[in-house]
Amino acid sequence: MMAKELFPEAQELRKGRIRIETTKDKVTEIVKKLKENGYEHFVMLSCVDWIKDGKFELVYHMWSYEYREHVMISIKVDRDGDSMVTLRDLFPQIETYEREIHEMFGVNFVGNPRLGEFILEGWPHMPPMRKDFDTEKFVNEIYYKIPEVKEE
Amino acid sequence: MKPIVKEYELFIGPNHPGATGNMSYHIWVEGDKVKKAETRVGYLHRGFEKLMEKRIWMQNVPLVCRICVPEPDVNEAAYSMAVEDLMGWEIPERAKYIRTIILEMARLSAHLLTVGGIAASLGIYTAAQWGVGDRDYLLDVFEQITGARVYHIYIWPGGVRWDVPKNTKELLTKVLDYLEKRMPLYEDLIIKNKVFIRRAADVGVIPKDKAIKWGVTGPNLRSAGYQLDFRKLEPYAAYDKIDFEVPYYPKLGEYEVLSEGSDIYTRTAIRMLEMQQSINIIRQALKDMPEGDVLLKHPQWFAWKVPAGYSYVRVESSKGEFGYFVVSDGGKKPVRVHVRGPSYTHGINVMETIAKGLNVADFAPTAISLDVCPPDIER
Amino acid sequence: MTLNHDDWGKVARMMSKRSLWMVHFCTGCGAMEMPPVMTSRYDMERFGMHAMATPRQADVFLVTGYLAVKTLKRVVQVYEQMRDPKYVIGFGSCTINGGMYWDSYNTIKDLSKYIPVDVYIAGCMPRPEAIIDSFLKLMDMIDKGEAIGWKKYHKYYDQYKRNQRMAYSYRLDEVEDIKEDDAK
Repeated sequence: MMAKELFPEAQELRKGRIRIETTKDKVTEIVKKLKENGYEHFVMLSCVDWIKDGKFELVYHMWSYEYREHVMISIKVDRDGDSMVTLRDLFPQIETYEREIHEMFGVNFVGNPRLGEFILEGWPHMPPMRKDFDTEKFVNEIYYKIPEVKEE
Repeated sequence: MKPIVKEYELFIGPNHPGATGNMSYHIWVEGDKVKKAETRVGYLHRGFEKLMEKRIWMQNVPLVCRICVPEPDVNEAAYSMAVEDLMGWEIPERAKYIRTIILEMARLSAHLLTVGGIAASLGIYTAAQWGVGDRDYLLDVFEQITGARVYHIYIWPGGVRWDVPKNTKELLTKVLDYLEKRMPLYEDLIIKNKVFIRRAADVGVIPKDKAIKWGVTGPNLRSAGYQLDFRKLEPYAAYDKIDFEVPYYPKLGEYEVLSEGSDIYTRTAIRMLEMQQSINIIRQALKDMPEGDVLLKHPQWFAWKVPAGYSYVRVESSKGEFGYFVVSDGGKKPVRVHVRGPSYTHGINVMETIAKGLNVADFAPTAISLDVCPPDIER
Repeated sequence: MTLNHDDWGKVARMMSKRSLWMVHFCTGCGAMEMPPVMTSRYDMERFGMHAMATPRQADVFLVTGYLAVKTLKRVVQVYEQMRDPKYVIGFGSCTINGGMYWDSYNTIKDLSKYIPVDVYIAGCMPRPEAIIDSFLKLMDMIDKGEAIGWKKYHKYYDQYKRNQRMAYSYRLDEVEDIKEDDAK
């Protein structure tokens, strides 16, 4: 069954792009249901920082080779200290996306054993992909302030 | 006699673990067999997605092509398509054909490198020399068309930057004729080579029933036995007007079917067949290309305001599905650009899983036959 | 005719400039233009140059592009393993001032703050001809005894180390030894 039939609240962005807005507790169920109904390719998990609302938007992308349709399942979590359940049992590759989002945004995924350092090494500041992290200011304060080697 | 050391750890990389870039594998080995592998990435992290939020829409075009170095054009095309999707633009017909030609040239040059690389990792260094050398002829044509060898910045939102030079057809036909003549030599050297077959068949197998579940895409998926290609499933550029075949296992044309599913041998064979199809596509596109404008008449770049919305576009690159998820809030800069690189799944989850049970000597060939490109993992 | 110490230095320099071996450590985008330079079309072997897998047998280090902090650690480690005399070529705009990534939080901006650089190649990305030109320039400098980056590294070791540690820890105030985690 196609996503529109399964979830009548789904919104069609354009041909072949469906967007479902839902809440945190329903995601596992929706992803499972879509997986059983032909949406077998998990494309990616992305995270958008809506700093004005104080929310992170997690977007689960799934694709059906059969219907040629792409579904984005979108949920909002709080920016501070909120956590989400891992879905690595459904699709193994979600684990890696969760590791990246944990490192770059600071969202906690309960049940994922490999969270921790992934791309950065020894990063002491706030997760860099958050909107309130100012990369230009950081660069001016760190890299350009590192003194040149003085030759006598 | 009992062995003194039963199990040991090996660190492969960050320098060339069979991938075009810095990336490393940490493997646990017992005797000669890999027990466990972990991928370590982050050596090429530049924070593209952060930088793109700081720049206006047009400034991001020269930035995105740096995400995948062997095949930069897919990034330009995908980003441009995402902007066009949000803006609701329809690009001129001629630009679509030019994009097709550029993308297929990029695929050819990337495949030449990969096929040469796979062979070189199994000891056939001649193939790598040939691959790099023949790729240079394509780079020369790129230079004629776009003005640069590696980063072209030629595909823009709204079309392509300028029209192709008048002698493009002759230039390209000459190179394509040459490459077509070279293909049988590559076949003799690699695919039909007994040594290569002995090393490559049944090594690093992706099982057919797991391939889609693991998120495998592109030539790796097709070599596992699915005829799935986003050029056919969701046609972009001018692919819907061009007649071409999608090679997949077990239909390997004139090559022997030697093994079950996606191993190093099939993955190489699929890439060889795809190169022939690319040549075919470029020839058709050159023949059918209509006259007309190549760039949409759009507002001044600095004044672009992209309507609010979500867009996901995908391009079939030489490595698999390259996707761009772009979010706009109606402003001058994107809120979020998230890149889905094909190597993300191939290099980390798939490699970690299929590495179990490999010989150490087969590790690098397996990694390179998955065509892992680290810059698109960490961006 | 007898040769004194200086003359022998001249002879040694003349010999070494014609057999420069390069560490096969390619990082960043520039690694893409190295295969054409190494293979038949541009063929750097005609200058006696060759890629060498181990740093202990190499003379030239080509830092081909931007360095993430994580890579800088490995680069410094490789550089320190090379034997004197050793030369560094900074490749592309990224090693000069950050290039495209001038405001990126994870790439270092000026390579010469961390290891001494003898020759820079401008451009993004430099053409193979430019790379070959830089090799010739380096040979010329070696011949004249001007490529003295490795001597500087010995002399101002403390300053280089301090800068490296600052970058590793992403901080300015905390200059302390961070744990060496080698092979990862």
